[in-house]
Amino acid sequence: MFTITCPICGKRSQKEFRYGNEDLGPMPPRERLTPELYLEYIYSNGNRAGVQKEWWCHKQGCGSWFTVERDTLTNLQVNTGEKK
Amino acid sequence: MGAKLKCMWQDNSLQSSYDAVIIGGGIHGCATAYYLAKEQGMKNIALIERTCVGYGGSGRNTAIVRANQRTQANLRLHKEGLELWPVLTKELDFNLMFNQSGHLSLAHSESTIGAFRINVSSAQLSGVDCRFIDARECKELVPAINLSRDITHPVYGGIYSPPGGVLRHDAVMWALARGAAQHGAHIHEGVEVTGIDVSNNKITGVRTTRGKIKTPNVIVAAGGYSVQLADMVGIKLPVHPLTIQAMVTQPLKPFLDLALSSGAYDIYITQTLKGEIASGAHMDEAPNFTSAVTSLCLKHQAEMLTELLPCMKGARFMRIWAGLADMAPDMAPIVFGNDEIQGFYFNGAWGYYGFKSGPIVGKYMAQFVATGETPGHLEQFTNKRFAQFRYTGEKAIPAEIGPWN
Repeated sequence: MFTITCPICGKRSQKEFRYGNEDLGPMPPRERLTPELYLEYIYSNGNRAGVQKEWWCHKQGCGSWFTVERDTLTNLQVNTGEKK
Repeated sequence: MGAKLKCMWQDNSLQSSYDAVIIGGGIHGCATAYYLAKEQGMKNIALIERTCVGYGGSGRNTAIVRANQRTQANLRLHKEGLELWPVLTKELDFNLMFNQSGHLSLAHSESTIGAFRINVSSAQLSGVDCRFIDARECKELVPAINLSRDITHPVYGGIYSPPGGVLRHDAVMWALARGAAQHGAHIHEGVEVTGIDVSNNKITGVRTTRGKIKTPNVIVAAGGYSVQLADMVGIKLPVHPLTIQAMVTQPLKPFLDLALSSGAYDIYITQTLKGEIASGAHMDEAPNFTSAVTSLCLKHQAEMLTELLPCMKGARFMRIWAGLADMAPDMAPIVFGNDEIQGFYFNGAWGYYGFKSGPIVGKYMAQFVATGETPGHLEQFTNKRFAQFRYTGEKAIPAEIGPWN
């Protein structure tokens, strides 16, 4: 078990959060949206062994969505912005 | 002290070229090597493993086998797979300790019963022996079960599948690796793949920590790490590598003959021959490459086990461990090869089904590599299904789906 730092509520147990996949960038503009682009937007996971940028939702807290950078090899968050 | 232990397979030096290189010394990799060497006559093959044979998911699962999956594609594959274990025991001349004890999967709501009725019907249609039983029959099969209505998830019934059972996963690994080596495959442990060379959309070789290997065929069977190997050749897959935790209690008096699983309680348990209760939990939520175990999981398992099987109160957990599983969004495997990149074969995303399917998929993968054509049994698992927005529908028992919709 690890912790996630919510920008509003601070460092909390991961169990309070919902994982929302890696950050795959913004959705392509609707007028240019093709099936291939959409597919890439929802599916093209990098599955990095290392630091990845990802979305979390504090579902049992304030309910906000935010991105964090987490090392998938250690489950430790980097650059939380919190004082050590 | 005692006799010196000998390795069960020959130690060969790493050649500079092979006809095929299999990446991953787990059950899928070893089975592929075994069948390539034995049935397809490819003797000049290498199996590359980063740590040691069976170190990953193949040696960390709960070794339950069954054939009552949901979709036709999975059903026929797992049915053949289940029938393969006794054959392999003979063929490999190794006691795989296949205990065909039966498998009972519990339903905890009216809607799950509906989903189970579909499940049972499709399994029976594929010739798999399984039937729906009510709560009273569940109690007859497992007298320790708690039929009280006052528990979190009361038992409503279940799917009983007599051909299901449990094996010793280490024995399976050792036997397959030894079998592959006996038929001429080279097994290299402690070699890590650092890159895969492709030129003109053709596989030309593999770069490893012990030098380059020239080869026209690469088979990826690295479990949780498979996606990263696919990434090396530029193929992105909608897969999440997730940890699953499992644990084992102190030995108890025999009270559980069969493999028991419950989706609502998130447990699947067997009693080993030593009397320990081996219990598996659900997957972690966020993708990671650790093998971290959590106290929360232990607590959850303890609560769930003692509620469903009150006789386990007071029993102590002795060990807990975790392994990596790679999961696709539709819970079905991803198998493809020899299309965009000639000679590149991918066999992964087995999620919860990796151990059950190992040998049979190894057999078909060997056929795939030898002919270059996808065998019928694996066709549905292509990675193209995502582009066509056609999921396989293996998602474990969506309770809201029943004969009424």
